Amino acid sequence: MNFQQAAILLALPLASIPLIIHLINQRRFQTLKWGAMMFLVAANRMSRGYARIRQWLIMACRILALLGLILAVARPLASGWLGWAAGSQADTTLVLLDRSPSMQQTSASGGLSKLETARAQLASTLATLGSNRWLLIDGINPQPRELTGPKQLADAALAEPLSTPADLPTLLEQARGYIEANNTGQTEIWIASDLRANDWDAEGGRWDALRQSFAALGKRVRFHLLSYPETAPGNLAVRVTDVRRRAVGETAELLLSLRISREGETGGTERQVVPLQIELDGARSELTVEMAGPTFDLKDHRIPLDKSQVRGWGRVLLPADANPADNDAQFVYDQAPARRTMVVTENPAAVRPLELAAQISPESLPAGQVESLGPEQAGSLDLDDVALLVWQAPLPEGETATRIERFVDRGGVVLWVAPNAPTATRLFAAGWTDWSTEERIWPLETWRADADLLANSLAGQSLPVGQLEVRRYCGLEGELIPLATLSGGGPLLARVATTRGGVYFLATTAAPQDSNLATNGVVLYVLVQRALGLGTSTLGDTRLAAAGDLALGDSTAWQRLAGGEEAIATPWIYHRGIYASDDKLFALNRPVAEDQAAVLAENRIDALFDGLEFRRVSETVGSRGGLVQEIWRLFLGAMLIALVGEAALCLPTAAKQATIELRGGTKPSAGSPAATQGAAA
Amino acid sequence: MLPDQRSRSFLDHRVLSRLAAIPFSPRFPMLGTVSGRHASPHRGSSVEFAEYRKYVPGDDLRRLDWRAFGRSDRYYVKEFEADTNLRACFVVDTSGSMAFGSTGTTKLDYARKIAGSLGYLALQQGDAVGLSCIAKGIVKHIPPKRNPAHLMAVFDTLEQTRAAGESQLAPVLHELAETTRQRALMILISDLFVEPETLRSCFQHLRFRKHDVAVFHLLDPQELKFDFRRPMRFIDLEGGPPLFADPTEIAARYLDAVRQYLEAMKQIVLESGVDYHQVSLDEDYEQVLMRFLIRRTRTRGAR
Repeated sequence: MNFQQAAILLALPLASIPLIIHLINQRRFQTLKWGAMMFLVAANRMSRGYARIRQWLIMACRILALLGLILAVARPLASGWLGWAAGSQADTTLVLLDRSPSMQQTSASGGLSKLETARAQLASTLATLGSNRWLLIDGINPQPRELTGPKQLADAALAEPLSTPADLPTLLEQARGYIEANNTGQTEIWIASDLRANDWDAEGGRWDALRQSFAALGKRVRFHLLSYPETAPGNLAVRVTDVRRRAVGETAELLLSLRISREGETGGTERQVVPLQIELDGARSELTVEMAGPTFDLKDHRIPLDKSQVRGWGRVLLPADANPADNDAQFVYDQAPARRTMVVTENPAAVRPLELAAQISPESLPAGQVESLGPEQAGSLDLDDVALLVWQAPLPEGETATRIERFVDRGGVVLWVAPNAPTATRLFAAGWTDWSTEERIWPLETWRADADLLANSLAGQSLPVGQLEVRRYCGLEGELIPLATLSGGGPLLARVATTRGGVYFLATTAAPQDSNLATNGVVLYVLVQRALGLGTSTLGDTRLAAAGDLALGDSTAWQRLAGGEEAIATPWIYHRGIYASDDKLFALNRPVAEDQAAVLAENRIDALFDGLEFRRVSETVGSRGGLVQEIWRLFLGAMLIALVGEAALCLPTAAKQATIELRGGTKPSAGSPAATQGAAA
Repeated sequence: MLPDQRSRSFLDHRVLSRLAAIPFSPRFPMLGTVSGRHASPHRGSSVEFAEYRKYVPGDDLRRLDWRAFGRSDRYYVKEFEADTNLRACFVVDTSGSMAFGSTGTTKLDYARKIAGSLGYLALQQGDAVGLSCIAKGIVKHIPPKRNPAHLMAVFDTLEQTRAAGESQLAPVLHELAETTRQRALMILISDLFVEPETLRSCFQHLRFRKHDVAVFHLLDPQELKFDFRRPMRFIDLEGGPPLFADPTEIAARYLDAVRQYLEAMKQIVLESGVDYHQVSLDEDYEQVLMRFLIRRTRTRGAR
């Protein structure tokens, strides 16, 4: 229980006034010499227990009445959150709203979504609690948005749902930045979230720093987490995994791959017929699939196209269920862009097998184009429509390096191949050291088969990476993620962590004296084709991307062709849908991580706020009631009841309180039995 | 009339003169020492015819009714009622509780007025007056006599007696019942602060001894109202342990106890044939005595 006027509670000792008066009264006794002691003794014996209880009840009623009055004036707040610490009105209230697609999940009976529930509850609660200032941190604007009042939270335009994940650590960093910059007083941070792991990034390295920085702010910052961990078993989510346009003779067709995933453990083996709607350039068709497991993959579903229709957009729609935000998936298609590879080499023989692997594309894709340059020509490097850059030379510096960095930021892929003579130059925080001098064959010890360039095939077959033999390799240093490691040596293939594109280091060459990459062939071909595919995906006039991908540029001029939720106060880029800009088409979808319905355990959340003033309350979706309610009426009622009870107990019993009237005396008549007896005697 | 002409605080000559107009008589035949105004249980030589009785040898021939013999040819003796004087024994409770009085007069003062006035009236009509001051036992005992000097001794005793000690009414009354010659007027003036049931046998004992028992039950108005506001520490006038009580808490039950006590007392005196008078100290004692005497005149002459 909390009190809005907690200072009034200082008057609580006043409730003992009846007791004090009683004690004083007991002290102020009078002494009297008394004759009729036998009546006093008899009165003490008669109903002593009840009379004593009655006296105590009267006193208890009086004390309760005073307590009720004081507590009512202190304006108590009730909630199921009994552990809530009492405190005075906050100076600043920061609201951190998780507006990710998973927060659009509704209750089983429909009605309000988690986000709407959170907004309504926060608006009601914060209005009750009061604060000098309210701010909303939405993760989109770098600065918190000041609210005129908590009721503004109920405004749909201000806190509309997004298709992007909520990066809670970033939101908290913004909150901390605001508190430090403005030196706020008592600050309450209210977080409303459904505790999805991808939103909280609990395993990330930022939490330690966040905890320490908030701990340094002291007790003036308190966290209140309004959590909605309820999941929706059986909720279906659809995602387009691949879409390709292919010319078939005189016609064309669209190869659509999609994945339907079902939330919850119980729904794992149930068979379910799912009617799918596929909307292609505004025209809808329906397809029924039957899924028996937690996921269902539809591979290369063919949709005939007119040959003249080279680009367009489409959506896959699921029937309505618990979460409407994951019931659609947008896609755009176009002719596959040219698969251009730029090779910069100081030793053409060392990279020749790579050039070959890049030139030979799968039949359904455009043929690869490879252009080779010497290191001395690197100054005129044009990477505008290049998907893959293979660089077998010392790491560049200056303008060339900058150009390559921009290329990677755009989404391009660089494969650095070991140079003849390594230099100390570092790029992407990594670089070459020296060639190995020991003459022996270095077999591969480990490699990552679950993801990236050396991942297993779609059928789960592993690549023959173990058959590779390396006779010479060049050392690597820097912040690298090994993808394949030599036995007793350094990494053979490593990548640098980048937000976009790809930067890979191959620690040997395809020359026969260095390795058997060329004769093995399979690993080299898959490696190059995958790198090329990754680089090609960012080319072309159509783009399939996750909502919130700021690399897509300014979205204010975009035109929306189709989409999910409306965007009123936030840019299009944060909302899933199909957008057109000039001659480009964008299909934005929720991030893949949003379909992974892992909910963080409560103790994990508690551990994130360990050492901080943190309270957590689990709420139910669709609950319209506020978290706290003023209950002063209850106390006022209790006070009135106590007063009525006291009055009832104090009511004198008229018959008993009346004084005794003497009637003079009695006199038996002379004829009464006693008198007669006396007379006879 | 009073031999020493001393004024007594408990005597008011105006009250006495007004009360003197009403005869002070017993309810039953009394046994006196000399001829007097009151009926005797024995036949005597008064002018009031009682009955005829058959002559038996030994009877005084002077008491034969010759006219009856002439009419019936049988011997009858004509008998007349006897008149005698009264022995009024005043039993005044002088226990500690009799020192209480909230109206400016203590119960003992009130008892002095009653005993003194009635004693004076009795002596005026030739009756004998005695006094017993009792508390735990008989503190002072003056046997009944009918001369004025004796009355002065009674008055002196009344004047000098003080309320002290605890009350042991029952054994004392039993003793008085036994030691006082039959057919006396026993006037008990007390607050009767004992269990009513213990008095039942006392009264029955007195009645068995043919005494005419009159009781003045003295109660203080404060004892009847119990209208205290503050917590009180009551000190027992009879030497018992003090008692602390909050009147607001105890008043109702106190009054209940008093009411029950008075009801029980009333029942006992009714069953015992006692002339019982409840007297509140705020009442005028003249009115009390007036009522007492007038009631007695109604039963006067019963034999």
